[in-house]
Amino acid sequence: MNVVIDGKTIEAQAGETILECALRNGISIPHLCTHPALPPFGACRICIVEVEGMRGYPTSCSTPITDGMVIHTQTEPLRLLRRNILGLMMLEHPSACLICDRREVCDRYRPKSEKVGATTGCHTCNNKEVCEVRELSADLGLAEIMVAPQYHYRPIERSEPFIDRDLNLCILCGRCVRICKLHQGKSVIDFVHRSSQTHIGQAFGRNLHEAGCTFCGSCVDVCPTGTLSDRYAKWFGRPKTKTGTTCIYCDEGCALAIYASNGKSIMATGLYDNLPVCVLGHFAIPEFLNSPNRLRTPQIRVNKVLRPVTHDETVSRCAELLQNYSGKAFALVCDTSSTLEDRYVFKKFTQEVMKSPYYFEIEPDKKGFAKVIHVPDEVKAIITTGPFIPIELRNQFEVVIALDMFYNDWSKSADVVYPVGVFAEVSGTIMDKDNNLRPLVQACSPPGEAKPEWEVIQSIGKALSPDNWKAYDRVETITAELGLENISLNLNRKTPPPVSQKLKERREWFRGYRIEDYVSGLAVVRNFEEGKEPETEKEKDKSEIIESPKPFMVLSRRELVPNTYEFVIYVPAIAKKALPGQFVIVMVDKNSERIPYTLSDWDEEKGTITLIIQEKGLSSRKMISTLQGEQLAHVVGPLGTAFEIKKYGTVVILGGCYGTGAVLRLIRALKEQGNKVIMISEARSHYLAYYQKELSAVSDRFIQTTIDASSGEKGHAVDALKRLLDTGEKVDLVVAVGCPFMMMITAEETRSLGTKVLCALNPIMLDGTGMCGACRISVDGQTKFACVDGPFFDAHLVDWEEVRDRREAYSAEEIQAVSLTQPAETIHREPHHNYCSCMERG
Amino acid sequence: MIANDTMEILYERAQEEWGKIENNEIPVVYVGSATCGRAAGALETEQVIKEVLAQNQKSVLFVEVGCMGPCALEPIIMVQPPNGIPICYGSVKPKDAEEFTRCVLLEDGVWEEKLIGVMSVDSYRGLPPITRHPMLETQVRNILRNCGLIDPENFYHYLAQGGYRGFLKALSMGTETVLEEVKKSGLRGRGGAGFPTWKKWTFARESSGSEKYLICNADEGDPGAFMNRSVLEGDPHSVLEGMLIAGYTIGATHGYVYCRAEYPLAIKRLEIAIKQMHDSGLLGKNILGSNFSFDITIKKGAGAFVCGEETALIASIEGNRGMPRPRPPFPAVSGLWGKPTVIQNVETLANLSLILSRGADWYVQFGNENSKGTKTFALAGKVKRTGLVEIPLGIPLRKVIFEVGGGILNDKEVKAVQTGGPSGGCIPSEMLDLPVDYESLTKVGSIMGSGGMIVLDEDNCMVDIARFFLSFTQTESCGKCTPCRVGTRAMLGILEKICAGKGEPADIERLETLAQTVKQGSLCGLGQTAPNPVLSTLRYFRHEYEEHIKAKECRAFVCNALTSFHIDPDRCVGCTMCAKSCASQAISGKRKEPHVIDQEKCIRCGQCLRVCPAMYAAVYRRSGSQVRYEPIKERKKKTD
Repeated sequence: MNVVIDGKTIEAQAGETILECALRNGISIPHLCTHPALPPFGACRICIVEVEGMRGYPTSCSTPITDGMVIHTQTEPLRLLRRNILGLMMLEHPSACLICDRREVCDRYRPKSEKVGATTGCHTCNNKEVCEVRELSADLGLAEIMVAPQYHYRPIERSEPFIDRDLNLCILCGRCVRICKLHQGKSVIDFVHRSSQTHIGQAFGRNLHEAGCTFCGSCVDVCPTGTLSDRYAKWFGRPKTKTGTTCIYCDEGCALAIYASNGKSIMATGLYDNLPVCVLGHFAIPEFLNSPNRLRTPQIRVNKVLRPVTHDETVSRCAELLQNYSGKAFALVCDTSSTLEDRYVFKKFTQEVMKSPYYFEIEPDKKGFAKVIHVPDEVKAIITTGPFIPIELRNQFEVVIALDMFYNDWSKSADVVYPVGVFAEVSGTIMDKDNNLRPLVQACSPPGEAKPEWEVIQSIGKALSPDNWKAYDRVETITAELGLENISLNLNRKTPPPVSQKLKERREWFRGYRIEDYVSGLAVVRNFEEGKEPETEKEKDKSEIIESPKPFMVLSRRELVPNTYEFVIYVPAIAKKALPGQFVIVMVDKNSERIPYTLSDWDEEKGTITLIIQEKGLSSRKMISTLQGEQLAHVVGPLGTAFEIKKYGTVVILGGCYGTGAVLRLIRALKEQGNKVIMISEARSHYLAYYQKELSAVSDRFIQTTIDASSGEKGHAVDALKRLLDTGEKVDLVVAVGCPFMMMITAEETRSLGTKVLCALNPIMLDGTGMCGACRISVDGQTKFACVDGPFFDAHLVDWEEVRDRREAYSAEEIQAVSLTQPAETIHREPHHNYCSCMERG
Repeated sequence: MIANDTMEILYERAQEEWGKIENNEIPVVYVGSATCGRAAGALETEQVIKEVLAQNQKSVLFVEVGCMGPCALEPIIMVQPPNGIPICYGSVKPKDAEEFTRCVLLEDGVWEEKLIGVMSVDSYRGLPPITRHPMLETQVRNILRNCGLIDPENFYHYLAQGGYRGFLKALSMGTETVLEEVKKSGLRGRGGAGFPTWKKWTFARESSGSEKYLICNADEGDPGAFMNRSVLEGDPHSVLEGMLIAGYTIGATHGYVYCRAEYPLAIKRLEIAIKQMHDSGLLGKNILGSNFSFDITIKKGAGAFVCGEETALIASIEGNRGMPRPRPPFPAVSGLWGKPTVIQNVETLANLSLILSRGADWYVQFGNENSKGTKTFALAGKVKRTGLVEIPLGIPLRKVIFEVGGGILNDKEVKAVQTGGPSGGCIPSEMLDLPVDYESLTKVGSIMGSGGMIVLDEDNCMVDIARFFLSFTQTESCGKCTPCRVGTRAMLGILEKICAGKGEPADIERLETLAQTVKQGSLCGLGQTAPNPVLSTLRYFRHEYEEHIKAKECRAFVCNALTSFHIDPDRCVGCTMCAKSCASQAISGKRKEPHVIDQEKCIRCGQCLRVCPAMYAAVYRRSGSQVRYEPIKERKKKTD
């Protein structure tokens, strides 16, 4: 069968679509909603082509190829139409960043996405580094959007186990719906509603579990945007490695892809598109392996206390302890989660070095529970790889050596604790339930000084029997000795594991540990299964608040624009003393991080302060989840050096993000001193602009800029500033308040203009009084503390790279902390018109 | 061997049954009790008539019939004196029923005021025949041949009119000949696109597979369209007979009627009719002893407009969300459950019996070169006589509006005619001589569609009309493909902006770009035609868009934001009517002194204009430079 694509004659195969044929022959046709694992859908309309003799523009993903077809994929009308269609799609997706003139600067300054609550731009999108929409928009040359975009104001769904869903990013490609149908044979999710209200959801507003979701995670894998994300993995950025290995939570032998960065596993998926894995394979591996409870250093008991020591010290202590217990006084207990190689070494060690018949290998039951065993009374020294023996029998043993991954009663009372690597952290061979040998390939590093089990036992063997023990240099040597060479991953399963369709059949235990104790989403699943009501926050009775406010009480809370909140808090002591430019440090609860917030405004009479807060991580999420009438743990302030309020002449204030709201009082104070104040507020799009009325009222001139030109002037605030200077406006001082990127570009692009630019820095802070040094920054080569020397500094003298890098200092910990399932309905949305997408919104 | 004998027995019985009505000894009262008649109070009227008759111990035979078409004249009651010809009356409201019964039934008189005509070609008792009624004179009633004349729930009534003769003929002809006959008739799909029926059938016949399906598309969804409902309610067997003929010809094994659940009466009557067919051997295995086995299932739809689209309709029958899928494969090759499927509109099917029983040669006398036969239209808008009409294809639009429709309400100027529903376009008054056929309508940027026809006059704003239709397609978009889902919303946003007086000059170009993107990029016919109302109004009424944008002027005074209400002090006598009825208390003034409207407070509801007595007509409207006064009408002199 021959066809002609773009003038080239190509041999086509029967049954393939135009797109498949073109891609197979290296002809690229832009496409989006189609996916190799899925049947054609034809929804996004990006892959349209022209076929001679066919009416209109058929989609190449769905049109079967027929003999003699003459196809054009790159005509000018097609390019225009594709761009216009993408432009339409981008009206329902936060798209300003795609058409921003400073895309490249932005990607250089912040290559990784920043975590945030509601994503309203690429730099805060968890999908940024692998986004198909971004690629497509670059390919098609999307440069502007035709009309103002529509943001749907849909609450972010974070109360489901494992999966975050932000439908404001959804482009309705339908991949999730189709893969669910394909993998589960049913529609847990589907399109809901019609027209521009169409979205993905469960029938009748049920939660995923009620709708029959088994959390196989296939929907997350195929989502081309940041709409569906693996809650644990989402903020780690693009993984550096992908390794194929085998899942050993159960003995089905599913092939997994483990994604890792810097040796740490981040995400797991099924290795093959056409086969789903179960909830454990998809969502329970990185969180389990990266648990903060993992053992990291070898320890020996010294004076009744476990102390971290070196490998050599640990090994010699083991040898010392075990030397008197050879024969039937020794036993080794392990389960089948150890590799065949490990178990071979265990057995060899027991029999050859310890001369003991007591090598116990436990076969776990259907739930993965390794049955508790009783050890013969004559055994007095034992090596165990997990809590398999009832702790009541502890007194039977004089020596206990624990090769383990977590602390438990055994490892806590052991004489020696050696942390071991398990699962994706080691290489070896395992056997599945059908007696197929499957490889375990190391995909990430064991934590700290943990080592593979065979290595630990081998060291002890060597120490006990230096002459007779054969030392293995690599695991492959053991594999070869076992005669198990050439095991490759290509043992693809033909059918999905039954558990991927039946959640209840999942394993619950691994190596003697209950998995849900270490994987938060599984605990949520358990709650659903047991019919526990999901936690919900209750609204406070608002009447009493006004009458008798207590210190640190939230008097009002409103979401100004997506992800940006205005809080009015009752703190009379601060309201009395605050000066423009100062900030406060807030602790939401007694264990919360201390977060600095600029004082936007205050009312001395009422004793209130106003803060503009964006959700960026765990602490700010707690903050924005605080409801009217609730009390914060602590508010400290006013802190920092106040802005010098005097007559400057003409002052231009640039505000972005939180900064737009944070400068309200500053403008008023500058006005009172007779300054001409011009306020320039930037936002990515019209739906992110706020406080326009308030700022227009207090400033001499108010300029709104948006990156997508949907409201006011096009561009960033600094563009409006430059235009202003071009008109001959004499500007005496510029103050920029916003995110580091916004202040950085303002500094860079005004450097040569001869106008003084101040910026407001708020790096990570602890005490806010100049003691801890966490907020250290460099200004003109000198070290300054933002908390006491700032927050205002000369923007042209700040080391912006350092500002950025220091903000990243705790990012791994922050990400680990934020991977939480949120109680249902924590975020109360305002009613109709503010937060619905109906067109009556002003 | 075809068991014609069984049918002949049925025909004999049907003649007897019908004969009782034709040669009646007691008066027969036909009550038009389709949904439209019921909405106008037909059942209440019937109840009152029955009560009055009972009081007077007069026995009368009641026949509930379907709809005759003239909506403006509902409820329609026909009275057939013993051994006489039915006399048709319109607007017999429940309040008139008692008097009507006395005058017409008890006293055997004629109520001239309500008379429409007698049901014959000649006059009877000196009364004019109904065919000479101006609304019916131009019409040709083929599809609606039985509507309003027979009891749709009575199988014999249908048989007595020659029902199922077409099917019997088809069985005796064989499928090849039937196909040839249908080809000769030039019948084209009446659902909108006008695809030749024989071609569709040929595709399905050529598709391999032992299972094939026939679907009757009764998912009529255009706003204001009710042609299919009337046929289903008034003559369900005509459609089902068409299904037998089509099913037989294409080799279908099963048929579905996909009917929206909003048509409960149609569904009820279809159910009754299907049962009657089963009982008389017209459905089931080896129908009438032939090799043809066929059954029909009714599938109720939930009323999504998009489910009228073939592939979405199939998805809906399969139990999925009604969303279209790309073609190819076409349903005729791979449709319902992946099997070859032919989908035909109600009206297309209703034609088949006639084509077969009377022959294609008879059929082609109606219509013009490329568009044969007749077509029903739901005539609505600013015409004097609205309703369901059936006209031969090819007659000029002007004839439909001025003869059938009786011209424009209040004798105003016609501005445009909107045909084809939300997928159609607006045809300007200069083009009224355009023949009503598939090609002509498409050429001017509209479509035939399923038969919506809305007449617009000088009081209609064309931007507002485009906005109205687009808001319909936008809310009915299934949301699957990007151009339709987002593009229609973006276009609607611009139209709303223009109507709100916030339009910018660049908006027209934006609208055109968006319209082209939606037209070329959408997946299904609904999306591809959704921009038509905008494109056609931009084509013929661009000046109205420009007036809205540049002069902030709405010449029809429809767009609220561009219209203001004022009181002419020279005309106002201070009657206070307007001030009393003003909801926003924007009108002030002393009694017997001219009143003033406070433009800040006015919400432009227009109530003052409506209540200002016509003898003063002091309230006038202004939009941009346009000013419109209402004519002063002399107070009518009291008659007695």
